[in-house]
Amino acid sequence: MSEIVIQVDNVRRSFTSTQKGEGLKGTVELLFNPKVKSHDALKGVSFKIESGAFVGLIGANGAGKTTLLKILSGLIPPSSGEATVLGQKPFDRSLSFRHQISLVMGQKAQLWWDLPAVDAFDLLKAIYEIPDAVYRERIDTLAELLDVKRLMQTQIRRLSLGERMKMELIGALIHWPKVIFLDEPTIGLDVLAAHKLREFLRVFNQKEKATIILTSHNMDDIERLCSRVMIMKTGELIFDGDPNQLTKKGECRLRIRFMEKKSIEELSALSGVPADHIEAETTSETTSEGEDSNDSGAALPTAFFNIQRTEATKVLQSIMSKTSIIDMGIEETSLEKVIQRIYEGEPAGLVERK
Amino acid sequence: MLRLKWRIAALKNGLQDATAYRIEFLLQLIGSAGVPALIQWLLWYAIFKIGGQTEVAGMSYTDLLAYTWMSVLFSQVRGGDHDFALMEMIRSGGLSNYLLRPVSPVEFVYIRGVAEKLFVAGICLVIGMIASFAVGLNPLHLLGAMILALLGNIIHYQLGAMIATLAFLWEEAYAILMVKNMVVQILSGELIPLNLFPANMQWVWKMTPFYLYVYGPTQFALGRWNLTEFGNAILIACAWIVFFTVGIKVTWKFGIKRYLSLGG
Repeated sequence: MSEIVIQVDNVRRSFTSTQKGEGLKGTVELLFNPKVKSHDALKGVSFKIESGAFVGLIGANGAGKTTLLKILSGLIPPSSGEATVLGQKPFDRSLSFRHQISLVMGQKAQLWWDLPAVDAFDLLKAIYEIPDAVYRERIDTLAELLDVKRLMQTQIRRLSLGERMKMELIGALIHWPKVIFLDEPTIGLDVLAAHKLREFLRVFNQKEKATIILTSHNMDDIERLCSRVMIMKTGELIFDGDPNQLTKKGECRLRIRFMEKKSIEELSALSGVPADHIEAETTSETTSEGEDSNDSGAALPTAFFNIQRTEATKVLQSIMSKTSIIDMGIEETSLEKVIQRIYEGEPAGLVERK
Repeated sequence: MLRLKWRIAALKNGLQDATAYRIEFLLQLIGSAGVPALIQWLLWYAIFKIGGQTEVAGMSYTDLLAYTWMSVLFSQVRGGDHDFALMEMIRSGGLSNYLLRPVSPVEFVYIRGVAEKLFVAGICLVIGMIASFAVGLNPLHLLGAMILALLGNIIHYQLGAMIATLAFLWEEAYAILMVKNMVVQILSGELIPLNLFPANMQWVWKMTPFYLYVYGPTQFALGRWNLTEFGNAILIACAWIVFFTVGIKVTWKFGIKRYLSLGG
């Protein structure tokens, strides 16, 4: 069994911030009677990660992902609970700890804006005490893999977002860290650049056995790279497991539009599908095609049946034998869809906690 | 172990960064040296040549002009604004970039920032030594004075780094750093020689380390301080550095716990 490199036990983190009311009154109040608001960013998160794992950390904005990464990389301490990375408390920030970790924040530049990347890498080489030959080899490998060899002498500020991100990644990996935290590394990248970056991360993880935690809003990143996914929602870890568990192999989503609105119980009786596998909607955005209203402009009731693909014909036949439908369609249960539904507040059923 | 390599590399990197825009660098250098000197010269000209004064606080027009031109060299070496940069990093979360690296962030920011000043100090030293030789002053005094000015540069940053930690508490320390710089401009001897202070007010500048930045080096370079006074000034500078080193360790130890690492 692989060794545990990251252990998080009941970690909580809260922040306080001063609130300013609207307009001049708010300004005066802020001066004389500031209101302080407390916010729990993490509410007792616990998990373990083994050496060499590639873990996806996902969640809607404000779910606590970045806060968790900041705690794990030693930037901020937890309010309570305990986190250890490589056997050390991150916030102690020992030299050996900082030699072995790396954090890349897609929205934050870490290299120096006015200097070419090669000058920044030279400085990092000295900081991490990397021998010349090893440094050359790493720079060549990383620049080759990310296809930025020709840009090494160009000022960072003159690079495109994707090129800059690749340079940031080189800067973050030049010391061959054992644990890498990637916070939305593909943000703003075009399809090709994102693909290259993903491919590079996959190879790096496999070859170097580095432990990687990746946060991303791009489900492609997660699906293609991560063998384990952790989902956070308002500071809590609500799922921790194999991403296939979420999409459930062979499952599909049968979408049917009816003439009249029906309750979940009625739909269950019509289809033979358990009620907790059915969702009903009557909104203006019921279908992906956007054909959501009848001729009179009224919204049509739509139901979604989460079933096995092999059951689709049987369920459809059962429904059509008892009532009329307007149309139907089968949607793949993609990770993105599942996550979207979780963000929207879908109660478990699909969601399991390890 | 001193781990000199990264420090040298940071100096090199800081100099590369400072000189990335050569014309801007040169204009800044010329402007910051020339303009204050010109203002002081106009002031002394008005007092002595138009106002008809022959002496101010025991100093003649020539004495004051000598002070003005010599002090310009040391004013260029006086601490820069990397304490402001540090404060802004705490405020905006940019400090995270430095906290992740296996180096001291306070020292790293200083070394990168001081690179430009060291380069300027080198130029000033050469100019000053040639000028000293030409007017009959001891060029070695100029060398000693420059060392004192560089110690002053360290003190200036250390004080700023300590003040910057207020940003951990209040998210902003700009005003205090600004006030510090204004006080420094007066009490360092950058604008006027400190012996122009009334006798009963001399204690004001003597109780701060600021006179070690410009006034002290200028006095020694002009031969107005003897070796004992210079030696004392060096010892006092070292004592301030030790004091602020401890101060920074304490304030950062407590401050960093409140760091929010905003952004990202």
